[in-house]
Order: sequence, then C-alpha cells, then structure tokens
Amino acid sequence: MPAQESRAHAGRQRTRADRPARPRVGVAKLTSCDGCQLTLLDLEDHLLDIVDAFEIVEFPEATSNRSSGPYDVLLVEGSVSTPDQAEWIGELRRRAGLLVTIGACATAGGIQALRNWGNEPAWRASVYPRPDLLETLPTSTAVSDHVAVDAELRGCPIDPHQLLELLAALRTGRRPQLPDESVCLACKRRGTVCVVVAEGIPCLGPVTQTGCGAICPAYGRGCYACFGPHEQANVESLAGWFRQHGVDDASAARLFAGFTAYAPPFRSEAESATRTAHRQEDPSHA
Amino acid sequence: MVTAVAERRFLPRQELQALIDVLAEDGRRVIGPMVADGAVVYDEVHRPADLPIGVRDEQAPGSYRLVETGSERAFDVTVGMTSWKRYTFPPTVPLTRASQDGGGLSLEPAPEPAEPMAFLGVRACELAALRVQDRVLTGGPFVDADYRARRDAAIVVAAQCTRAGKTCFCTSMGTGPEVSEGADLVLTELDDGFVVTAGSTRGADLLDRLPTRRASETQSASADAAVAEARDAMGDQVATDGLHDRLLDALDSPRWQEVADRCLACANCTLVCPTCFCTSVSQRSDLDTATVVAERSWDSCFTAGFAKVAGGSFRNRRQDRYRQWLTHKFATWIDQFGSFGCVGCGRCIAWCPVGIDVREELEAIAPPAERHRKRPALATGTGPATYSVGTIHSVTPETADTVSLVIDGIDPVIATGTPGQFLMVEQPGFPAFPISISRYAPGHVVLTVRAAGPATAHLTQSEPGTQIGLRGPLGVGWPVERGLGKDVVIATGGIGLAPLRPLLDALVASRDRFGKVSLYYGARTPNDMLYTGELASWAELGIDIALTVDRAGPEWLGRVGVVTQLFDQADWHGQPVVAYLCGPERMMQVALRTLAERGIPTERTFVSLERHMQCGIGLCGHCQMGKVFICRDGPVFSVAQLGDALNVEGL
Repeated sequence: MPAQESRAHAGRQRTRADRPARPRVGVAKLTSCDGCQLTLLDLEDHLLDIVDAFEIVEFPEATSNRSSGPYDVLLVEGSVSTPDQAEWIGELRRRAGLLVTIGACATAGGIQALRNWGNEPAWRASVYPRPDLLETLPTSTAVSDHVAVDAELRGCPIDPHQLLELLAALRTGRRPQLPDESVCLACKRRGTVCVVVAEGIPCLGPVTQTGCGAICPAYGRGCYACFGPHEQANVESLAGWFRQHGVDDASAARLFAGFTAYAPPFRSEAESATRTAHRQEDPSHA
Repeated sequence: MVTAVAERRFLPRQELQALIDVLAEDGRRVIGPMVADGAVVYDEVHRPADLPIGVRDEQAPGSYRLVETGSERAFDVTVGMTSWKRYTFPPTVPLTRASQDGGGLSLEPAPEPAEPMAFLGVRACELAALRVQDRVLTGGPFVDADYRARRDAAIVVAAQCTRAGKTCFCTSMGTGPEVSEGADLVLTELDDGFVVTAGSTRGADLLDRLPTRRASETQSASADAAVAEARDAMGDQVATDGLHDRLLDALDSPRWQEVADRCLACANCTLVCPTCFCTSVSQRSDLDTATVVAERSWDSCFTAGFAKVAGGSFRNRRQDRYRQWLTHKFATWIDQFGSFGCVGCGRCIAWCPVGIDVREELEAIAPPAERHRKRPALATGTGPATYSVGTIHSVTPETADTVSLVIDGIDPVIATGTPGQFLMVEQPGFPAFPISISRYAPGHVVLTVRAAGPATAHLTQSEPGTQIGLRGPLGVGWPVERGLGKDVVIATGGIGLAPLRPLLDALVASRDRFGKVSLYYGARTPNDMLYTGELASWAELGIDIALTVDRAGPEWLGRVGVVTQLFDQADWHGQPVVAYLCGPERMMQVALRTLAERGIPTERTFVSLERHMQCGIGLCGHCQMGKVFICRDGPVFSVAQLGDALNVEGL
C-alpha cells in the first residue's frame, strides 16, 4: 500500500493541518427536483467523515462557495432537457475525472421523459404565456445518452446506503458494490412475502434493479421500478403475465410509464401507455 | 431414524402448548409455521394460536393463496414461502472482521454464536432438504462451521403431510410424504390430536416429558391412511429414472430459449429453494474503512454478477442461467453430492412470478423414453389368447344405438386399470373388438358400446346374465397427473365422452387438486348425447360444462354448432392448461389448431386415437401409425409425442 494511502487509512487522529490532499468533489444539477443531491446532506451521521475525506468544492444546495472545476469526482443529478444542458454536460464531462450520475432523471431521463412521446410545442404553448422565451429539447434523456458515465446510482431518490458505498469505494480506490440484480433477491433475503404470488399485485420488482432495500413490497405494494430495469429485464414476459391475470392492456402498459419510462427495456410498454394518454389529453386535439 | 418398532404415542390437541413448552425449555427459540401477509412463513411461535390453525394453502404455478377451512388443525398448510435454511443457512452472515489500527492489520472470524432453536412442523421434503444441505456444507473435505453449529443446535420436530399441494412432487423425488430419517420427533395430525413417534434419543427424552398416551390402533391406522392419501394425490409427476443423462444430453435443446423467453432472471426460484446454497461475499464498512466486515449473502446463478469475471459474465443470457440451474438441480448435483438437488417441495413453481413449472420444463427438455405411466401388468399368462370371463349385470340405453353395460364378476386385474385404458371383448362367433372402459367401480366396470358393426350390435342387444370374454386393461390412458395444478380442458364429441368419463371421475374425486376444469361436449342432436343425467351432477361438482349440438330439436334450448366454436370463445385466463381430446379426427384437428393458437404446448395436449386394433399388445401390426403402435403405446398420446404423424394423411 502506498505510504500516502496508508496514512489516509489511519483516520481520525489526524489534525486538519496534516490532512493529505482530498479528492475534489462537485455536485451539479440538470433537470430534476434536487431530492437526490439532498440525500448527500441527509447522511447526517457521516457528514463529518465525508468532509474529512473529500473536499466539496461545488454543491449549491449546501454552500455558496462555487467552483467550475476541475473535479476529481462530479455527481450529476437530473436529465438533459434543454439545448443549454446538452452543451453544458459536455463541458462538465471535460472538467470531471469521474462522472457519476445520481437518480432516475440522470440515469433514465426521469418522470419528465413521459413528454418524449407527446406534442412538446403544444404543451409548452398551453402552459407558458410566452413559450417563445423558452428553449427546450423535445426529449428528456439520460446523461449517458450524451456523454460517457463512470458510475450510476439509480433510484428516485437514490439510496443513502448506496451513496455511502460509492463514497467509501471512491475513498479506498475500489469498485463500488452496486449489484445489478433484481429487487426480488432483497425481498427474499429480508423475508418479505411476494406480493405478486401471494396477492396478485402487479409488482415490477422482478424486472427492476435492486438497491433500495425492497421497500415497497415490504409495505404491501408493488415495486414501481424507480431504480429502472436490471440487466436482463424481461418486460415482455412480466407484462404478458399481468395481462393474462386480469390487468387490462392500458394498466399493464402504464405500470412501466413511470420514473424510468424512457429506459430502453421499459420504453415500448411505456410508449403504448403514453400514446393513449396523450391522445386523450393533447391540447392540440382539444 | 423412525423404525417400525418405534412406539406410537398420542398427544391430544389441547396439549399442543405442552409440546411448545417442552421445546422452549432452556430458552430455546421455537420456530414454526405462521400466517404473515397472505402466506405461511416460518417464525418464532410461543403458543398454538401462533400456528396457521384453520387455514390451508392453495398453490399453483405463480400463485400462493391461503383459504380458511374452519378446521382446528394446525398443520394443514403444506409448505410456506420460507424454508428452514433461513435458520440453518441465514440470508446474510458475517464472516470476517478486518481492522487496521496504527498500521497493524487484524483479521478475525466474526460468526455470531448459534442460538439453540427447535423447528416445529418440518415436512418430509424439508427434512430431505436439510440432509441435502448437510451433504453440501458439511459432507465434503471442508465444513461450513456456521451451518454445522446452527444445525447441531436445532431440535427437529417433523410433521408428516396429510394433504398434498398442487405444486408438490416429493413422491417423484423420493423424499416424502413419509418422514424417514433426521427428525427428533415425528407428528401426524388427526382431528383430535397427534400421533407422535420419537426419531432419536433426544426425541425419546422429549416424548417422555409430554402428556401422551399410547396411540390406539385406530389412531395409528388413521395416521397411516392420511399420509398415504397425500402420496396418492401426488402420483408420480417427474420421471427421475435416467434424468441425469437425459438432461445432460439436451444441453442444446431449443426449449432453453423458450423458457428464457418467459424467465425473468429474478432469482426467486433459487432463493425460495431449500437446497440452493450459492452465496457471494461483500464488504461492509463505514466511510472510514478502519473496520470492514466481510458478509456472506444468498446469491443466485440467475444474477449477472454471479458468473462475472474481469472480461464479462460467463452466462450472459437468461437461457444460460436457467440451464445452469436446472442441470445443476437434476443432474450435476448428483455428480457432486450423490443426490438430486431437488426435493420436490414445489416452491420454485409457486413463487416464480410468471409461473414457470420445473416439472413441465423437465418433461419438455428431457422427456423420458416412456412418456406415460407404466402400464399395469397383465394377469399372469395373459396373451392374445387369454381371456377372463365377466358377466353382464345390466344394460342401460344411452342413445338410440348406444348402451352402457355394467360388467361384474371381473378379474381383479381389470379393476386396476386407469382412465383411458381399454379391454378386448370376445363373444363366441364374433371377432374380438377393443372397447374403452367408461367407468371403474368397486367390483365392476362399465362399457359404453355403440352398435357400429355386427359384433358391437350383438353386444348392445345382450341380456343381463350373459357372459363375455375380457382381456385387459390394455394400452396407455390419460395422464391425469399432468393436469395437477393446472386448468383442464376436455373436448369431445358423441361417443368420445365414454373413454373420458373415468378421467372426469378422477378429476371430480380430487377436484381441489386441479384448476378450472372445462368440458366441451358436442353431439349431432340432443338425443345423441351420452350420460345426460350425469352432466348436471358434474356441474355441481365443479366442472364447467358447455354443450352444443349440430341440429337442435324442439326441446333444445342450448347452443347449436360445433364444439370447436365453443372452444374459440372460451376464456382460459392465460393459466397453464392441460387439454384432453377425444372425438372425430376432424374435430380434433380443428381443436388442436385452436389450442396451438392459444399457446398450449403440445406436451400438454393429449389425444386418444382410434385405429384397427386386434391383439391389443403391439404384436399383430394392425394399429401401427408411424413409429408407434396405437394399442401398446396409446391410444392416448401427447401431440408432441406424435409429432408430424398426426398430420400425414394415410399414415
């Protein structure tokens, strides 16, 4: 182990003065609600350790001190939904050593990606009195659709344990343990009775990536896939099973038209649901 | 080891608390079945009321429901979602604690001490699963100390099953329902209490402290009969003979892709499996990595990470993962550990969110050479020339040209026949002809005969008291057991209902072991329908009946048209379906097309074929069709078994 690193592991006895150079960390935001970056502030018991290990140089939710980089690690929240953002994310990528996207918006386009199937100019005109003052893209997309991403934290919002795991891995210099398996493994390990099998509740856990701790089924409701699809998500089979068991076509499709609707395996199901909805609601048809 | 000489005691129901108390002595945690969130799980019980009293489980592929029975019984639920490995091989256990202080590294084993437990209500299949994990985790050169400690610290009280679930197949895997070894106490539940035997010295000590009395002969016999009933209800659903080789010979079966199209790679099957032992180790630490705990957690061959190396995963596709799992359970496990990795508990079937049934997949991927049940042996010396004699007891007209004959005084071997088998009937002076048995009853059989030619016409006009020659039962009949846990569709026309009646009798006799049962029956006219008096009673016994006629008379208020039209309008809810067809070939061809369109696999579609049969045992050559003899290999076949032969005209 290099000398500098072993000193770092010696930990708490160090004084501020002899602290080694800490990785420079930034937090940036595109189109999103800020909930994911707030998860960092919610790690209350660990905040002192975090600032001990990392130099937070950019985090508008927490500090007025700003830095335009460069960053050793940049956490990016939010989806790309304006021309400015599409340009800015390229700039951020150049200024970041490791770029980590956090949350359903940044990793899948977010709930706002439902507009990707709608008539965007018509909607804009129906909401804003001066739509000409706005510049938006017709789609809301994941950061990884625009630039290379080094790691993803999924979820709406992200899971605090996974964030802490990421930070611990960054600090040690190892690969973070972020399993890409289904939610079902977490349900079974914690002993939750399967809501699909025992109650016939449509649950997306079998096609959704784990990481949340399987919260929803533990409270008797189906998973709504806020962590997005796992690496082998067989949407066709699960949706087909729901349809065979009394879920009508529209409701089955709507299950997938949620926080990660634009993630490719969910996209075609979500598309059929949103097209139906848009036909009914599109102001241009009013 | 429970031996035949172990004394059978009787524990009255009201003393169940005494059993729990004896188990809980010295602070032992008693773990047993209990209801939680719509299923039975295994958790800590303190009193009989904690047990799932008055409920039973209805399990089917992808479905687990509890229904209230009002009974006082505590062990009517077969198996819960949880398996006992949750306590012997927990989901997550700490392995090693690494700490660094002042540059020094310390690595300490970090197991939690095994707490004493008692497992109450362990089923025979579950005991077998514990023995499988014993072999895996303690039977080799290395012993899992944590598992060993937990196993050694647990008392096991088994409960023999007195009913079987639709997903149960312990009989095929040779693990139950009778408890053979490995339990300290064995309970068999009766209405008023439990027949109890000791299976170990520790168990005998416990038994001495319980308020039992000697079990009466009636109680003993009732207990045996109840377990035997559970065995009979399961039948033999998975052909395990030669399965190891058949499966490993089928590594390139196209079925792996088909099952992968349904498989979610969600890993539920492996996590509910009581024998699956695969795990992964992860590191848990705070941001300050001064202390890191390595934890072992349940993992699964269905996850990507499980087979991942630096360059990627060795099993990237769902079909690779499913094949890994199935071939391990039913083939390579034998090479590694000397037994199947499956005990037939059925958890992987019920808890698969899309109802993939391992019994089905084995049948499709590695079909046994002999697809059907074993033929009952013919009576000694029975050959083409050997008949027994039966007497016509009564003749009941069914239609203008069809009668039902009750034949008694029969050779007992005929009564051992199964639904769909047939007899050769000999009347002096007439050529012998085959006729299917249309009902089995104690001491007699019923033959329903249509006057189609001189020999059959002669038989329909026989007087009670006439003796006839009988040879059989012959052929391979309907595989009733294939319908267990599934919806059953029966389609037939005219006289075709006769060979199906014993099948309907069998379905009605174990009605709750099958899903929805639908009978589609058509006839030329209302007067050509068989068993019209019984159709109503079948409906009352839970068979959905749809009738149609080609030509209605003035009395007919029902449907007019062909059976296959009814079929087209049927709503099968997408449940797994098994279909049994018997009727004119044209009807069957149309029906088969409909079934194929509905996605019912040809392995689960069974037809009874008619051909000229003379010897009935595959020696005379008359009834050949392609590679099969209808009389010997049929008359009932799966459509998969027949393959293209069904569509080749004149074969």
